[in-house]
Amino acid sequence: MNIAIEKVLNEGATRLLGRASDNRSLSREAMVPRITGAVEKYLLKDDAGTPHAEIAKFIDDMQADDLCLIIACERGDEKAWNDLVERFTATVRSAARSASKNEDAAEDLAQSIWAELYGLRVRKDGMPASKLAYYSGRGSLAGWLRAVVAQLAVDVFRKQSRLVQTDEDTDLERLARVAEGQPLVAGIPSPEESLSNRFAETDMQQALNQAVQELPAEDRLLVKLYYFDNLRLREAGAVLGVHEATASRRLTRIQTDLRKRVTKILVDERGWTQAETERSFAEVAQHLDTDLESLLAAKSTK
Amino acid sequence: MKQETNNEMDLLLRRLGRRDDAVMPEDHLDADELNAYAEKALPAAARARYTVHLAECSRCRSLVAQLSSSAGVVAATDTAAVSEVSGFRKFLASLFTPMVLRYAGPALGLILVAVIGFVVLRREQSAKYIAQETNVQQPPAAAPTAEKYFSDENSSKTVPSSGLINPEIQEKNKQPQPAPPPNTAPVVSSVEADVSKDKAVAQPKPEEQAATANEPPPAKREPSATPEPSPRAAETDVARNEVKVQSAPAAQAPRTLRKAEREDKDNVARARKPADAAGTVTAGSGSNLQIDGVDDVKADTRTVAGRRFRKHGGVWIDTAYDASKNAVTLARGSEQYRALVADEPAIKTIAEQLAGEIIVVWKGHTYRIR
Repeated sequence: MNIAIEKVLNEGATRLLGRASDNRSLSREAMVPRITGAVEKYLLKDDAGTPHAEIAKFIDDMQADDLCLIIACERGDEKAWNDLVERFTATVRSAARSASKNEDAAEDLAQSIWAELYGLRVRKDGMPASKLAYYSGRGSLAGWLRAVVAQLAVDVFRKQSRLVQTDEDTDLERLARVAEGQPLVAGIPSPEESLSNRFAETDMQQALNQAVQELPAEDRLLVKLYYFDNLRLREAGAVLGVHEATASRRLTRIQTDLRKRVTKILVDERGWTQAETERSFAEVAQHLDTDLESLLAAKSTK
Repeated sequence: MKQETNNEMDLLLRRLGRRDDAVMPEDHLDADELNAYAEKALPAAARARYTVHLAECSRCRSLVAQLSSSAGVVAATDTAAVSEVSGFRKFLASLFTPMVLRYAGPALGLILVAVIGFVVLRREQSAKYIAQETNVQQPPAAAPTAEKYFSDENSSKTVPSSGLINPEIQEKNKQPQPAPPPNTAPVVSSVEADVSKDKAVAQPKPEEQAATANEPPPAKREPSATPEPSPRAAETDVARNEVKVQSAPAAQAPRTLRKAEREDKDNVARARKPADAAGTVTAGSGSNLQIDGVDDVKADTRTVAGRRFRKHGGVWIDTAYDASKNAVTLARGSEQYRALVADEPAIKTIAEQLAGEIIVVWKGHTYRIR
């Protein structure tokens, strides 16, 4: 790191300490390594020649109080630790409850989070190996704590879910069987129709899969959030930082783009005619519609 | 068609989503990256890098989705905490709560509609008045009659108070108008000068003066196309004086006239006295209307079929007319009109003898014939 950037970082650390309502008597030297880590991770990794003004602005946008609190905790400041527990116990408990099935599991999760934050292991320099070291100060401390809780909850859930099969998995398996030519409801498609549809559908699904992979990252993320993760438009929009109306418009545009791209793949790479493509879109969609009805009927009779 | 297209793609994408067998990346975003992404606290380049990862990694995607929802809730809570600081802000916020808006919105809408309706009705009414006043102030230049030039104080009292033809209301309506610009002064003074020169002769309206000034002298003119006879002798005197009056803008004309009329009221009253002997022009049943053209005042009032009419602003009004009573409006030649004159031939006589609009009171009913 060149001297000019170091100067920007030092000045930024000074400003940050000055902005904090309680800087926990931290020195500039205590702040600079953390700030440097954040700058390298979020700015210099993508563009080593990031203008100094942009680096300075990045530092000025950091959460001064939260970062001072976390660094003070890391350095063994008991008062800072008490403040952290006092201020964020409710946040951690709330996040743990959201991620857990019951109160007991939530309490266990919350306790394990505090243990992770405090750091039961000891680093080479004698300081506890705490998760606090990973807080950059870029986002809020409350949000970061929620993320830590959510990550831990996912790990716990995945360990448990290997042993338990959910109803949702059963439904997906039923759908998979339908797609493989084992209709749940007798008499819906004839064997010839099923065979024909399956071939067309396979081509079309492959073309669609390819087209989705070719989408720009943000469009692909929206498709995944909405169709793969079954989020509502409002929730998908929140991830992208747009209003649900914008997400809806964007999704409509993506559907149109995908159809054009799928048609092109089928015509250029699979030798389909334009008319065949149009007909198959309608037939496959109708077939899928029937599948959904079958699934709903099967669910209602359960 | 586009909707169907999107429906097909929608179904296909749902199927693709259910069959998602993409390999999840081994590396995942750490808590700081997840949180910074969810809180939109990342520089654009870093955000784009993480977007690529999220598009492939369902684990990180679900965490970011969860954190994004929480971030929204936290932001809303923070905003609420700030609003508690200010009591006034709290009060303002309470005005815009969904519960209040639920009832206040429709109520405000109703009030708005009512106000708009009221304003529109008022405008229509005033537009009607303006239209009628315009008719009064600007009679057809083709048939200028001397009786229009007079302002009878007594008759103005008998005119309906509805404002349709009441000169007093015309005056009131005209009062708020700005004073005429300085360049109109010569016109006014010339009219006043004429009045002072010829006290016995009424002054015509300036726009009529301008019209008549451009015409040849009355003695040489062709008879008017209007069935209503005009007092030629009076016009001759008036036209002689009018030559001196220069044409003035139409907007200034009524004011100029009224000024002259006000100053000339006494003169008009004096002019009427000698006319009392002739008084009115009587039209017999079906006979031609005989007019004593020497005296203009006579033309102001007529008696037809036993009813006495006074002309105001181009409308012949029965002297028995009561403005508080509703009038039945009929058009000449209409089915209603024909039915009425079939029952009451005298009304037909009146309508034939008096040109233009007539208000006649007959057997307790008021008819406005156009």
